[in-house]
Amino acid sequence: MEDETFLTDDFLRQLINVGEVDLLVGLPTYNNAKTIGSIVGTIRSGILRDFPRERAVIINADGGSRDGTPGLVTGISIDDLRPTANLNALRTLHSISTTYTNGTGSGVALRTILAAAELLRAKACIVMSPESAKIEPEWISRLLRPIFRDGFDLVLPTYRRHKFDGLLMTNLLYPMVRALYGLRIREPYVTEFGFSNRLGSQFLAQNGWHNGNGGVGLELRFTLAAISGRYRISQSFLGEKEHTERRAADLVPTLRQTVGALFSALESDFPIWSTVAGSKQVPTTGPEQELLEGPMRVNRKRLREMFSTGVAELESVFQAILSPSTVGELQRIARLGEEEFRYSEELWVKTLYEFAAAYQRSVINRDHIIQALAPLFRGRVFTFLMENRNASANEIENNIESLCLEFERLKPYLLQMWKSRE
Amino acid sequence: MPLTNDALWYKDAIIYQVHVRTFHDSNGDGIGDFPGLVQKLDYLQELKINAIWLMPFFPSPLRDDGYDIADYHSVHPSYGTLEDFRELLDAAHERGIRVIIEMVLNHTSDQHPWFQEARSSRNNPRRDWYVWSDTDERYKGTRIIFIDTEASNWAWDPISKSFYWHRFFSHQPDLNYDNPAVREQMWEVMKFWLDMGVDGFRLDAIPYLVEREGTNCENLPETHSILKDLRRKLDEQFTGRMLLAEANQWPADLRPYFGDGDEFHMAFHFPLMPRMFMGLKLEDRKPITEILQQTPEIPASCQWCIFLRNHDELTLEMVTDMERDYMYDMYAETKTMRLNLGIRRRLAPLLNNDRRRIELMNGMLMSFPGTPIIYYGDEIGMGDNINLGDRNGVRTPMQWSGGWNAGFSVAEPQRLYAPLIQDPVYGYAAVNVISQRESEHSLLRWMQRIITVRRSSDVFGRGSIEFLYPANHRILAYLRRLGKETVLVVNNLSSTAQAVELDLRRYKGNILIEMFGNNIFPRVGDLPYLLTLGPYQFYWFRLRRV
Repeated sequence: MEDETFLTDDFLRQLINVGEVDLLVGLPTYNNAKTIGSIVGTIRSGILRDFPRERAVIINADGGSRDGTPGLVTGISIDDLRPTANLNALRTLHSISTTYTNGTGSGVALRTILAAAELLRAKACIVMSPESAKIEPEWISRLLRPIFRDGFDLVLPTYRRHKFDGLLMTNLLYPMVRALYGLRIREPYVTEFGFSNRLGSQFLAQNGWHNGNGGVGLELRFTLAAISGRYRISQSFLGEKEHTERRAADLVPTLRQTVGALFSALESDFPIWSTVAGSKQVPTTGPEQELLEGPMRVNRKRLREMFSTGVAELESVFQAILSPSTVGELQRIARLGEEEFRYSEELWVKTLYEFAAAYQRSVINRDHIIQALAPLFRGRVFTFLMENRNASANEIENNIESLCLEFERLKPYLLQMWKSRE
Repeated sequence: MPLTNDALWYKDAIIYQVHVRTFHDSNGDGIGDFPGLVQKLDYLQELKINAIWLMPFFPSPLRDDGYDIADYHSVHPSYGTLEDFRELLDAAHERGIRVIIEMVLNHTSDQHPWFQEARSSRNNPRRDWYVWSDTDERYKGTRIIFIDTEASNWAWDPISKSFYWHRFFSHQPDLNYDNPAVREQMWEVMKFWLDMGVDGFRLDAIPYLVEREGTNCENLPETHSILKDLRRKLDEQFTGRMLLAEANQWPADLRPYFGDGDEFHMAFHFPLMPRMFMGLKLEDRKPITEILQQTPEIPASCQWCIFLRNHDELTLEMVTDMERDYMYDMYAETKTMRLNLGIRRRLAPLLNNDRRRIELMNGMLMSFPGTPIIYYGDEIGMGDNINLGDRNGVRTPMQWSGGWNAGFSVAEPQRLYAPLIQDPVYGYAAVNVISQRESEHSLLRWMQRIITVRRSSDVFGRGSIEFLYPANHRILAYLRRLGKETVLVVNNLSSTAQAVELDLRRYKGNILIEMFGNNIFPRVGDLPYLLTLGPYQFYWFRLRRV
């Protein structure tokens, strides 16, 4: 293992006491006291119900919470010291915690969980989000079972979502990863997933933990590493994805985590994705996706304004990144009124491919490239919302599929740009 | 070695359970007998046990291996005579070995003259010695114990044209303990054997003596009243004798059988045994510590009887459904290994003949609070024959040697009461007393050693237990204390080497002396005491301040 000394002595002592396990549940946290009690309780129920015989451990990697989060996690341990009435448990269930002080980013947490999984020789592992408002005990089984019983290496979730939830996923990550890597993975960037020991160990050994990007976009990089390493991947439908609070998360950091990670991976993965044509289904338990209809409040006007302002203010940046025709087309639609405005599928795909090529060439600072994508993504979202405001779930699904096919159709355009540089 | 006068002798006993029929045949008829058992007492003395528990040896049609008694005052002719039994008593006592015999109070054989009389007519004076009914609808709340063979606790008697009550096989009618004459007669039976010199009784199936409508007919106050009366008579008329209760119940339900020290001296701790197997397979101490935590305190003069295996199936009545499924899957992969709610296998096959696990299980047995029982043949790792019906697969002839009939009998092999174990792993050619006597590292030699060490201190039989709870749940550690003596026991339930830190600060300054080799381990200090243990390894340490 690469440099496991980042684990504290106390945590190592806890790991020694846990010993070899069959199942490991990783839980990265940071001030999640409001939700974590219910989440770990559900995890415990899931383990007791579906894996009562297996040796299991819950491992909390906490970023220095000040609200008592680690105590809530460790408190659900099942052992012979604290009688647990009404819990029909065959064996001890350890729930241990470690706190890291060098940052609250997901990188340290995931690295800790991966290292623990390798040391404990866990056969199947999952990482659960500490922020989900609601999870069900069967989610644990749905993520673990394909690895533990069926030999898969990575299990990614699919959810029941509102039709306008996860727009970055539906308009960018899913179709682009699908077109480039050839696998129809609905949620390539997730905070809940399962993985095998061999995939976890491989990622732990190979990921550049010590360079500046060690903790950025890890979840997506994990998925891409599994694809490029030709590991067995499956999807499991979990249920409705509910967030604790609807935060208008800052788009730029999210793009860094996702698009930045994707663009970065394209460089090293070129030999893989450049040979892929078309896309294949991934073995999936349950539906691939379920969309919920119903109203959602979105400030569409502001989206379009931010797009237009961005196109105007970042003209010189776009000229460095994009082809003249794409810049011209963006400027044209930026001047259109709300009803006429349409950021077409073809233009959106070309925009992204040109961004990816520019990122590869580092035409300007790579982080500036990612930042420049933000207003354009808002413009694409505006179009998606307008086109689908009255659409049924099926119609939206068809539109997403159409966008995916456009990504696949235009893939040679990206290859052409990429190769021309070389 | 004469017997001691200690009235609490049973607390320090190591009991060896044996069926006369299975042990040694002296007259060549293919069936073990009392003279044969006498011939083998030196072996038992060598083993260092100090009590034997004899399974039923009374005249019987043997439809339940002697638990269907047809005459309480005699010896089954296959096993010898009353005089032979007296000789056994004397010979055992001369060697410092006490003799505990089986007594089935709850029921008789349907061939017993009492039952023959009772069924002969409804007006017979003995009619009321059994439980009769014109309907099979009474006592509906009572479970059926032998669910694989019995459909009801009532059986139809075609002679007297009524139903009789039986908690076990239908050929074992229950005696009616509401009848004072029955109670008096059964005390007379016990007195008969006590007068002869037996040291104790293992009283079979005692929760079921009395029936009452609207109850489950188990553990009833009336039953306890009868048992207390027997105990009172025992104490009034004899000294140094012992009553051992066979009641397959939860510890809380068993506790009343000790009364205030005025009912049973000892009782089997049934729920502990499956949890030892469970803890070993799970590599987790939780099942064991939990059941011992739930075990109530008992009067100072009383004692638990603990065991790994016996003549019955490894009973899984006192576990949850989930635990039972787990035990079946782990220890009885084929249906033929299962019987009623249990597993009909011997110790060595249950543990895959893994010497380390056999030793660990015996190590725990010998160091837990209670009096341990060793089932005959388990001290050499005998196997079983699951192709024999009922529980006969664990009741095959003792394997003394690799020669003719395993040294058990000179009879023609086909005349043996049961076939010998002959498979390549457990067969008598591979597993027998003579070869193990000659090997310094055999299981038999090891058993002799651990019994010797156990008997070197009263702390195991009489001391308190306090569990340590190291964070490593694969380690089961506890302190046994009696007076100024303290013994630390550390067991590794895991198949892999383990490290454990024990909080022994209150013993700061003590050194640890490993009891098997008498080696000194480092002194206890302020820091957690670090030990490493190999797979399934265990330590017994005597703590001593130097």
